[in-house]
Amino acid sequence: MGLVPWYDGRDGMYGWIWRHLPGSTWVRALISLALVVAVVYVLFQYVFPWAEPLLPFNDVTVDNQ
Amino acid sequence: MRVIVRTVSELCITVGSVIVLFVVYVLFWTGVKADGVMDDQIELLQEQWARSSTPPAGAGSSTANTASPPKPAPYAKGKPFAIMHIPRLGFTWNKPVLEGTATGTLKKGLGHYAETARLGQKGNFAVAGHRRTYGDPFKDFPRLRRGDAVVLTDGTTWFTYRIDKGPYKTVPSDIEVIDPVPRTSGYTRPGRYLTLTTCEPEWGHSHRLIVWAHLDSTQPVEAGKPEALRR
Repeated sequence: MGLVPWYDGRDGMYGWIWRHLPGSTWVRALISLALVVAVVYVLFQYVFPWAEPLLPFNDVTVDNQ
Repeated sequence: MRVIVRTVSELCITVGSVIVLFVVYVLFWTGVKADGVMDDQIELLQEQWARSSTPPAGAGSSTANTASPPKPAPYAKGKPFAIMHIPRLGFTWNKPVLEGTATGTLKKGLGHYAETARLGQKGNFAVAGHRRTYGDPFKDFPRLRRGDAVVLTDGTTWFTYRIDKGPYKTVPSDIEVIDPVPRTSGYTRPGRYLTLTTCEPEWGHSHRLIVWAHLDSTQPVEAGKPEALRR
């Protein structure tokens, strides 16, 4: 075993996720879509609002409150 | 070896997608969210004003003879208290003004520097706003010129300020620009002034852009919209 669970030489991590999803191709595609939506939701709702103030667009005052 | 190459390339794709999503978030989604929030703030204000406009008319008569009007309640931190119109930035351009300049407050509208004068009072009424992101309220800030109107209302009065000194570029530590009598603006006497600040360059934070205005006229809301807002 290597450092990552998909270390078996067959395909990458996305392939590994795909192979571990249950059901037919269509069910897998649907689950994948749901996963992508969930990841985007978490990013937009939690991660980006946290990261955005670290960028300079917020500095509009002269006294840096 | 193949696994390393594959993992690295998949990571690159993942990081790239996240960066693209982040750009979409900053450029587009903050604007969508801010427009909704600002509309909510304006609605909130108008509801408040509609509710409070009826009682004082009857209640005020008994205390009408006191020497000076009672001191108005301080603005509540993080809450909207006025709406600003700047015809130069667009005929329909109007934004809520909230108390304080905290990051969270500026996401909901323009921020009034808490230590500066109240609207229409002696001193300097200073307001900060985003140039970019969160609805881009001050995107066209450099287009402001001497003589342009900045009109505010607190629900009872219209305040029309006229810009005296157009976009002035300074450094972020130059807090003198929001002094009661901002020296670099050319004002020498105490008066009723207004200062707007935003960032410069558009996407950066190395400098600030400032405009100064003086109070030109006031009129009660019953008298209708001021000259500057009529088409």
